[in-house]
Amino acid sequence: MSGIKLTGVSKSFGAVKVIHGVDIEIGQGEFAVFVGPSGCGKSTLLRMIAGLEETTGGEIRIDAEDVTHKEPSKRGVAMVFQSYALYPHLSVFDNMAFSLSIARRPKAEIETKVKAAAEILRLTDYLESKPSQLSGGQRQRVAIGRAIVREPRVFLFDEPLSNLDAELRVKMRMEIARLHRQIGATMVYVTHDQVEAMTLADRIVVLKAGVVQQTGAPLELYRNPDNMFVAGFIGSPGMNFLKARVVPGSGDRLTIELHDAPGVPFEIPARAGLAAGQEIFIGVRPEHITLGEREGGVGLAVTAEFIEELGGTGYLHALTTTGEEMTIECRGEDRPQPKQTVRLTLAPEEMFAFAGSGERLR
Amino acid sequence: MQRKSVGNILLLLLTLCVACMWAFPLYWAAVTSMKPEQEVISKTTFIPDVFNFSAYYFALFETNLATWYVNSLVTSITVTVVVILISVMCAYALSQIVFAGRRLLYGIILASFMVPSQALVVSQFVLMYRFGLINSWGGIILPQLIVPVVVIVYKQFFDSVPKELREAAKLDGCGDFQILFRLYLPLNWGITTALAIITYIMAWNAFLWPFLVTNSEEMMTVTVGITQVDDAFGVKYARDMAVAILAAMPVALAYLLFQKRVTQALMLSSGIKG
Repeated sequence: MSGIKLTGVSKSFGAVKVIHGVDIEIGQGEFAVFVGPSGCGKSTLLRMIAGLEETTGGEIRIDAEDVTHKEPSKRGVAMVFQSYALYPHLSVFDNMAFSLSIARRPKAEIETKVKAAAEILRLTDYLESKPSQLSGGQRQRVAIGRAIVREPRVFLFDEPLSNLDAELRVKMRMEIARLHRQIGATMVYVTHDQVEAMTLADRIVVLKAGVVQQTGAPLELYRNPDNMFVAGFIGSPGMNFLKARVVPGSGDRLTIELHDAPGVPFEIPARAGLAAGQEIFIGVRPEHITLGEREGGVGLAVTAEFIEELGGTGYLHALTTTGEEMTIECRGEDRPQPKQTVRLTLAPEEMFAFAGSGERLR
Repeated sequence: MQRKSVGNILLLLLTLCVACMWAFPLYWAAVTSMKPEQEVISKTTFIPDVFNFSAYYFALFETNLATWYVNSLVTSITVTVVVILISVMCAYALSQIVFAGRRLLYGIILASFMVPSQALVVSQFVLMYRFGLINSWGGIILPQLIVPVVVIVYKQFFDSVPKELREAAKLDGCGDFQILFRLYLPLNWGITTALAIITYIMAWNAFLWPFLVTNSEEMMTVTVGITQVDDAFGVKYARDMAVAILAAMPVALAYLLFQKRVTQALMLSSGIKG
């Protein structure tokens, strides 16, 4: 197949195994985002695709070609680093032309390619400048331009926006999305920021401790997470998790009772057949909770702690009567005061059930 | 405030005195070289009665100074170029390439920095003798090519180059030689010039080894050659001073032209990263 295929890829540093048999397929022209918390192995995996880290086990194929043990420059990949990694002593033009001059391409070809890339990235006016004379966003564009001129099979981005301020990050995010539409190349992007992952990706790969937790389209992961980790990681703010107990019910839906609201059993869309009395977790997103009592929902009392105000919306941080932390999205003008007891309504159809091990109960 | 400015003036005067004390021997050598020999031995004058350049004429045209200059230039430039080349490659390998025994090798280089060169002259002399390199440029140059401090300083600088630059260069298709000569060396151009100047000055000023390895006047360097002026022609102070000043001239010029870089190199080689 075209694109990238990782089969049973693993990586160890001495006795420490950091990537555990990863299998991923990324289609030709797809924008894949590796996401996960710090230390989950996402950058290591990207560097293994680039050839900057030796692969301990498994196989990496790019456009069906086995590149597992090939030199980085022979894999047809280009990488954009978090720190930009621009050569400080060279001008923007020379930075972008560097790989072509190493490959001894004719001068006319180098000039045409660099100017075309500069045009795409709106860098034409800065070709004679040194990297130190550019802003963070411009430097990042030069780093991307350096990748473009190589016309690689795969673009690799290692947390490329982490060093930029919030406003610039949003702008650059849009630039990268535009670039992907424009050139249609396969791109692999590493980030710990799930907003970047959600907005850029055709496919998200969620990693934890060197293990792929779930792969899928952004909304698929949001709507249908495989486990508590993915459910908590995808979506901002993260999903709330509350302890619940399985109670005897009828039909093919799971009947549970919240620890916080005993005696009010309700059904959620998950498999039945779990033993009565078994402890599970239910997950509900902040945006699926409403303030006040609503008919058809599950009522819950919480004590308001503080509100993160964002203008149009606010996030109420609260504690249940059993001390579980919750975040609730507040829309409109209605904002509870700290220490105030607030009634909430959870919509059972928006709830997810997870076993104690974190696995989704479907 | 006033007390402070008085203190400053006193400090300035003291500094001036020390500077005069330091500069006086140089001044004395310069005026002596421009006096007639008679005036040098008969009276003490701070400014010559008559400016006489016969000592310089003698040094330039009646000694082998031109040959010694050529020998010194050839050996110093060769030592400088080769030391920089060897050290830069050695430091790059120690800093950037992972190989078995890397730490041990660096330990040996650090340890060799602590061995005074004088302790090695006998074994080096025997080695050069067996190679048949006594009284040759090769004999003068070879033992001066190992300068651990240059390797150590380069390694320090290469260690501080962000590893992403090397990785980016690898992805761009560079091998280690290209990474070194197209990336690491230009990035550390300042320190390269500083180290080249200090190595050149050390090689030009080297006395003990060239003195031991040459006994033919045709192969002597300036520092060794000027001792022959005294031996062959008796003590003639004006001539000796003229020869000494001519011998020191290239180094003095190098220092004046690249003062900032020399200071930087001296600080680096003494362990203060400038």
